[in-house]
Amino acid sequence: MTLSQFGRNLVHMDIFTDAYRVTGRAAVGAGGIHAEISNPNSNFLDLQDAYISRIHEPGSIIASYNMAAFRKDNINFIVMVDRREGVPVGTQHGRSIFTRGRPVPAYLTVPSFEIKGELIYEGKPSPNAILTQALGRFLLVFTATASASLHPEISYSGDLILVHKERIGILCLEKPR
Amino acid sequence: MANILVIDDDAQLLQMVGLMLKRGGHSATLINNPFEGLEKLKEVKPDVLILDVMMPGMSGHDFTRQVRDQEDLAYLPILILTARAQEVDRVTALKSGADDYMSKPVTTHELMERIDHLLSSKQPVVKPGREGIILSIFSMRGGVGRTTLAVNLAMALRRLTREEVSLVDFSPSGGQAAMHLRVQPKVSWDDLAAADQLDHTLLKDHLLLHQSGLKLLAAPQLPQLANKPSSEFVTTVLKLFRERVAFTILDLPPMINPAVRASLMASDIVLHIVTPEVVSVQVEVQATRALIRFGLNLQQKIHVLNQITPEVQLPAAAVEKGLGTRLPFQFGFDEHQSRALAQGVPLTITTTQSPIPSVSLQMAEAIWQKIVKN
Repeated sequence: MTLSQFGRNLVHMDIFTDAYRVTGRAAVGAGGIHAEISNPNSNFLDLQDAYISRIHEPGSIIASYNMAAFRKDNINFIVMVDRREGVPVGTQHGRSIFTRGRPVPAYLTVPSFEIKGELIYEGKPSPNAILTQALGRFLLVFTATASASLHPEISYSGDLILVHKERIGILCLEKPR
Repeated sequence: MANILVIDDDAQLLQMVGLMLKRGGHSATLINNPFEGLEKLKEVKPDVLILDVMMPGMSGHDFTRQVRDQEDLAYLPILILTARAQEVDRVTALKSGADDYMSKPVTTHELMERIDHLLSSKQPVVKPGREGIILSIFSMRGGVGRTTLAVNLAMALRRLTREEVSLVDFSPSGGQAAMHLRVQPKVSWDDLAAADQLDHTLLKDHLLLHQSGLKLLAAPQLPQLANKPSSEFVTTVLKLFRERVAFTILDLPPMINPAVRASLMASDIVLHIVTPEVVSVQVEVQATRALIRFGLNLQQKIHVLNQITPEVQLPAAAVEKGLGTRLPFQFGFDEHQSRALAQGVPLTITTTQSPIPSVSLQMAEAIWQKIVKN
């Protein structure tokens, strides 16, 4: 966590839409960014100090603004460097609901990107059940890498990638380790 | 104690970095605006510049480019410190001219280590009155592992010296160097040759950047006529490389075309690759005769033995006898090379233990010592 602001923390993230990569900071509470994007009372996510790049030139910044708002439905995925900024991971007494279970190697696709990583799931994993029953509208993929489908040399890695379930085209799973 | 200029629009982070530097025994000038930073740069005359990327009005990359365009600041060590923590961000930072890159947050210890490294790094090889070195990797026989050795030697020189190192794939028949490095050959020397007038900016735009900082002038993906590129083009391009790049490694095709001839004439050192086979030795002997006939009696010729199969047909002593010369560098068979090629990750990046990276580093060290002594 970085800076505090009225009991909330400003955390850095990379947000990906169909055509853009936007780096910035969002104010989150104890539930991390997952709680913010799953909040049913707002269709928007506010970002501070937003720096915008085009997907095919992800290193060069084409515009920057102090404030930005994202339509949540328009977000394909969010890359977090530290999973603790994304979801509550639990305490020394036990794991949180998001990190309880066994790691399941996963491969999934969203528009223009393919993502590899691990889902953490309790019980017998089935792609269908995960897409329809797992908590929230974003799927949590841990220790993940997103690679641009047409430019595989462009990739983004994060301790956690939150993927919009409705943007997922293919979800493949291995048997849990 | 070094004088360090820090430019970051985030006032709190700026103060934090300032405190870290002071604790590390350095003096810090803190500026929270890139435009003011540009103005202050000449006044402050820092030993190191620490720069944020995400700043309003001017990104750290644009800032770096502006600094590098000023002749007296061309060698100022620049460390990019940013919250953009992805590999593409590191590549973009290095491509814009920065020397090093760190993602936030950083600890005092990590920051001090990088600053010390930047301060203690060797003086640039290429500076007024001193030019870069050109090394050719050559063999008249195909399939002797020429590109593998060129890529690994380039990587070893980069790793050892942290200097500017470029690799040029002059093959007219669809080069392999880009594949070894897993970079997309979007532009090649063929595109560069089509330009009206060659200059440093144009050359820079045609170089592909590998994540290690190594730069590649790739061969065109489609095979070309064997007489391409022209000797005039090669001579001009190599002159540009020599002016700005510490080490330029040329991966030459197994033929004597105008490009190869011009490359060999421009080279300071030519490494002739032979495999421990009768045919390879015979071809090398004939090639030496042919080169002399073409007026290329190369003084700085070094023979390198590369065992590309598990079985040895000729012992090294027999190869030395056949060639009538010593083999100062001998690569044993490296079982990891096929995997490295499939993954597009040269072995010199991942290990120092197996034959290819260990001998490549020995060669790089020998070349570097030669330069330092001169």
